[in-house]
Amino acid sequence: MTDKNMSILIVDDFPTMRRIVRSLLKELGFTNVEEAEDGKDALEKLRGNAIQFVISDWNMPNLDGLEMLKQVRADDALKDTPVLMITAEAKKENIIAAAKAGANGYIVKPFTAATLEEKLNKILDKLGK
Amino acid sequence: MNIDVAQLAMGDAADSDELVQRIGKLTRMLRQSMRELGLNKEVEKAAQAIPDARDRLSYVAQMTEQAAERSLNAIDRAQPLSDTLGDDAEALGKEWDQWFEHPRELDEARDLVKATRGYLASVPAVTRQVNKELLEITMAQDFQDLTGQVIKKMMDVIQEVEKQLLQVLLDSVPEGEDRDAMRKRMEGHWHTAAVTEEIGLTNGPQVRDDAEGVVNSQDQVDDLLDELGF
Repeated sequence: MTDKNMSILIVDDFPTMRRIVRSLLKELGFTNVEEAEDGKDALEKLRGNAIQFVISDWNMPNLDGLEMLKQVRADDALKDTPVLMITAEAKKENIIAAAKAGANGYIVKPFTAATLEEKLNKILDKLGK
Repeated sequence: MNIDVAQLAMGDAADSDELVQRIGKLTRMLRQSMRELGLNKEVEKAAQAIPDARDRLSYVAQMTEQAAERSLNAIDRAQPLSDTLGDDAEALGKEWDQWFEHPRELDEARDLVKATRGYLASVPAVTRQVNKELLEITMAQDFQDLTGQVIKKMMDVIQEVEKQLLQVLLDSVPEGEDRDAMRKRMEGHWHTAAVTEEIGLTNGPQVRDDAEGVVNSQDQVDDLLDELGF
């Protein structure tokens, strides 16, 4: 059974997209949601709080989503945190690079509520959460 | 050059053949000197950016139109639902008011009770439907992120075109105040241009769906990941 109280971090430089993802999560019953505006901000929040799930954009200033993902995987305290990418980057090499860096899922924008729900559940099922 | 042409024009009109020849010669000279200075390459580069900008603009136009339509359609579907909800509640409320003013026998009120229960039972399904439409409106706002990224890219392209054109002007204008002002403007550009260099994996939304090596749907993403064994 999914823990609806799970703390989720949304990382995107566009406030509109953060609001959209937040609304979708609320619709799915997840209300314990934090936001970060780029990879750097996200890493700080990850290190300062007990975040259980990350939903991240790719193309962001300061530190992009892929670089953030690599740093999460290289950090002993954070390396097991699931990371779902939601990005407009639609080149095959992007998807391959994200998978190789250890992304748990990849959603290409524009996406639907059903896609987010499906990928989120798939990741949580796999991890047995 | 202008003076030469003007003098010729004012001169013997009968000599128009010579005038045409002179203009032709000047054009050739201009073209040759542009080539020698490498300016035609700069202009070419600037011109190449135009189709890209056109693709991006048409993507923005398409996305904004879609988003507006999606939102308005959702509103059109939600409005009658919430109207009905309100109208039915109002009608039932009026009947209850009448009943309290002139109480009737209980079995006469039974129909009203039944109708009220029916109404209450129907409310959650309708509000769920309205919520679904509200979420649809929320989702339609994703155009702001996608077009925002594309517009940002386009501003870089426009800046690049401006830079190329300024370079052409700078190379063809004699020393002086104008040239200094232009050079100052150029230097500002160099400064920002270095920051916006293209990085291989961050290209933003694909504005053409016929581009190579690009996925067009979530299904294609999933298939690719399956193929790779992820």
